[in-house]
Amino acid sequence: MAQNATIHPGFAAHSGLDRAKHINYWKRCLKTYLPHQYTSNDSNRLMLSFFIISALDLLGALLPSTTPAERADYARFLYSCQHPEGGFRGFPGTDFGQLRNKQNKQWDPANIPATYFALSTLILLGDSLQRVNKRACLRWLLQMQREDGSFGEILGENGQIEGGQDTRFGYCATGIRYILRGHKTGSVLGMPDINVDKLVDCIRRSQTYDGGISEAPFHEAHAGFTYCAISTLSFLDRLPNGVGGHLYHYGNVRLSGLTDLDLTVRWFVSRQTTTLDDEEAADTYSDETDTTATCHDAHSFVKTRSVPAKSDETCEKDRPPPAVELQWIGFNGRPNKVADTCYAWWTCASMAILGKLNLLSYTENQLYLLSKPQHAIGGFGKLPGDPPDIYHSYLGLAALGVLGNDAVKPVDPALCFSKHGATLLKNMLWRKRLLGEPGSEGPLVDSDDEVIETAEPRGRGVDVRAHQNLQVRYVRRGSEGETTLCGDGESTVASHDSDQVTLRGE
Amino acid sequence: MGVYSDDPLWADVEPLPQDDGGPNPLAAIAYTDEYSEAMSYLRAVMASNDMSERVLSLTEDIISMNPAHYTVWLYRARVLLTLKKDLKEEIAWLNPTALNYQKNYQIWHHRQTIIDALDSPEGEAEFIAQMFERDAKNYHVWSYRQWLVKRFDIDDESELKAIDELLRADVRNNSAWNHRWFVVFGRHEGDSLDETVLERELKYAQAAIYLAPQNQSPWNYVRGLLRKYNKPLSTIKPFATEFASLDHPDDVHSSHALDVLADIYEGEGTKADAAKALDLLAQKYDPIRANYWTYRKFLLGFPPEPDHPIFHHHNY
Ligand SMILES: [Zn+2]
Repeated sequence: MAQNATIHPGFAAHSGLDRAKHINYWKRCLKTYLPHQYTSNDSNRLMLSFFIISALDLLGALLPSTTPAERADYARFLYSCQHPEGGFRGFPGTDFGQLRNKQNKQWDPANIPATYFALSTLILLGDSLQRVNKRACLRWLLQMQREDGSFGEILGENGQIEGGQDTRFGYCATGIRYILRGHKTGSVLGMPDINVDKLVDCIRRSQTYDGGISEAPFHEAHAGFTYCAISTLSFLDRLPNGVGGHLYHYGNVRLSGLTDLDLTVRWFVSRQTTTLDDEEAADTYSDETDTTATCHDAHSFVKTRSVPAKSDETCEKDRPPPAVELQWIGFNGRPNKVADTCYAWWTCASMAILGKLNLLSYTENQLYLLSKPQHAIGGFGKLPGDPPDIYHSYLGLAALGVLGNDAVKPVDPALCFSKHGATLLKNMLWRKRLLGEPGSEGPLVDSDDEVIETAEPRGRGVDVRAHQNLQVRYVRRGSEGETTLCGDGESTVASHDSDQVTLRGE
Repeated sequence: MGVYSDDPLWADVEPLPQDDGGPNPLAAIAYTDEYSEAMSYLRAVMASNDMSERVLSLTEDIISMNPAHYTVWLYRARVLLTLKKDLKEEIAWLNPTALNYQKNYQIWHHRQTIIDALDSPEGEAEFIAQMFERDAKNYHVWSYRQWLVKRFDIDDESELKAIDELLRADVRNNSAWNHRWFVVFGRHEGDSLDETVLERELKYAQAAIYLAPQNQSPWNYVRGLLRKYNKPLSTIKPFATEFASLDHPDDVHSSHALDVLADIYEGEGTKADAAKALDLLAQKYDPIRANYWTYRKFLLGFPPEPDHPIFHHHNY
């Protein structure tokens, strides 16, 4: 449980993060098998990889807890997921190796989110992206855009774009574009640009009557989709005038990607709530009247009306006074929903991109993250008391970085990793040359020379995972440590500092 | 020894193990032997484009362990269509599966593929109702429902009735409010705006506000309606005043009414009144958003003290 009882009003909200425990949590994720419950996320392994590496970077613990050789191995793993036709697959599980051919390749496609996460992770590992087949990646990216401007997740049979119409894919696609070619428009490495206008138009049409943004026109606004849309506009340099850089012009029309900035800001501000767990939210169903428990957005402040609900009196009695409740202000993803750790990220990062972070109750928002879903063993759960999971642990940490918590590195709110990582990207020589930055003059590396490398020839080796009961044993170059995996899937790290790494099953 | 390696049905298949790309893979999962084996057989049959009956049980097995696998569903759909299977049986299998994996995207896309091929929405309304019993705000279900309405041109009347029932059960269900907006406006884009529709929708949302004044969904709906029809917010001034009034600052029943009034006063140019409403919001009725209300007041020309949190320097 979190250390909620000890925080007083007026607490400065600096630190309050149990840094050592968070580092331990992430080191466990990095160096031992994830418990088998993550099997349902097997297809998202490159996303999990990104969260693990980036979390350690945000905590300033990536370099201290890994050796250069280990980091090279991690990069090798990521490159092993690079797809022969550009981009990265989501996990090694669809790779047919030598058996890949024209007839079966549709079952082993590159994946848009995985590609964004692979590139981001490589940047954080200090890799210069030299082995990324950039031209093939940009060519594939073009194939991933639909007629209406939106992006999909994968290419299926006959070049069919699969994976729903969803601003998350637009976000990852424009993130890939930003990493590989910055804000440059027109042809790069012989590849034309994506259709930016159509994508911007698609986002404009997905704005809802209440000011949020949805996955597609007329769907319900959702903080996650709204963040993705706003970050997309940031990557495309298409935010409203005066927000996040200069406005991109085309023709005589100045078209920003947000139809009503003020309304969107209002919508984000309204995501703040003091309904922080399921118990508090339970009363909403079948209880039409306003009670102190059902008024999520301002509960216990307004007067209840003519027909007080049965539950009203008892709720009133058990409720802490407003001053206590106002110490912790969380975020929901949609109106009248309960707070959830990840929405702190989606909302705070979006407001940071829009330059409006100060309009949130940012001190109380930090206190909410630190006092409620922060878990005693490190990491964050979705709701207070929930066990930590990789997704919420990362987004909770990144939200603290945006909110200025001094135990977390400053975060680039659109890239979703540290500003330090963003600087590593900006300093890559090949990218500076590609963008024509002064002082970077030199030959452009043509991607024709960049043969796809999977780091080293790989044979169909032993499936480590399938043979856990055989006590697979191998040596990690330059690192020492015994890692044991307990039978119940709960992983423990004995030591990271000895030469041999033994991975054994039950 | 495993389920597949011991089964004569699979004797001709050479399982294809996973290559994890070197000694230090990232996010390695402690796969169960069952999962590792099933995945090795899946890779083998996918690699040879095996379209036989046995693939259906194998894909079902994988889906039960990893429903987010992004090509296993596409492969299964291909096999079903190739073997010309009875797609109604597929729906019968999907129903309990969907109830088990409520937050999975792929399953809904698969359902769309199958229902599209069946060319009939029969039974879908009942299934959706069942899903809503578990979670009436499930995002995937609502997205699927929009697809269904468009694909089969389901009439407005029956949709509005269904939404009404959901809102009767929970007037705070924002997904239902949004769906109402889609039914009323989403399929008639480009049509000229019908004033009787505005009147009907205003009445509907206002009735819901009488029921629960501190409910942001119908207030957002009303604001959206007025914006769509280019009507000033002051159209609902008398209505909003029923829930909040500057003359009775201790008797406020809805922070949203106060918010509307602040906007109306601002539009009317009575800035001092707008500031009073914003003060009430910041200090008493909606302190969760105190910084925002203070900022709104600042925009009206009433700056707070220079060390107010809204002037705090953030590095963005
Ligand atoms: Zn969440």
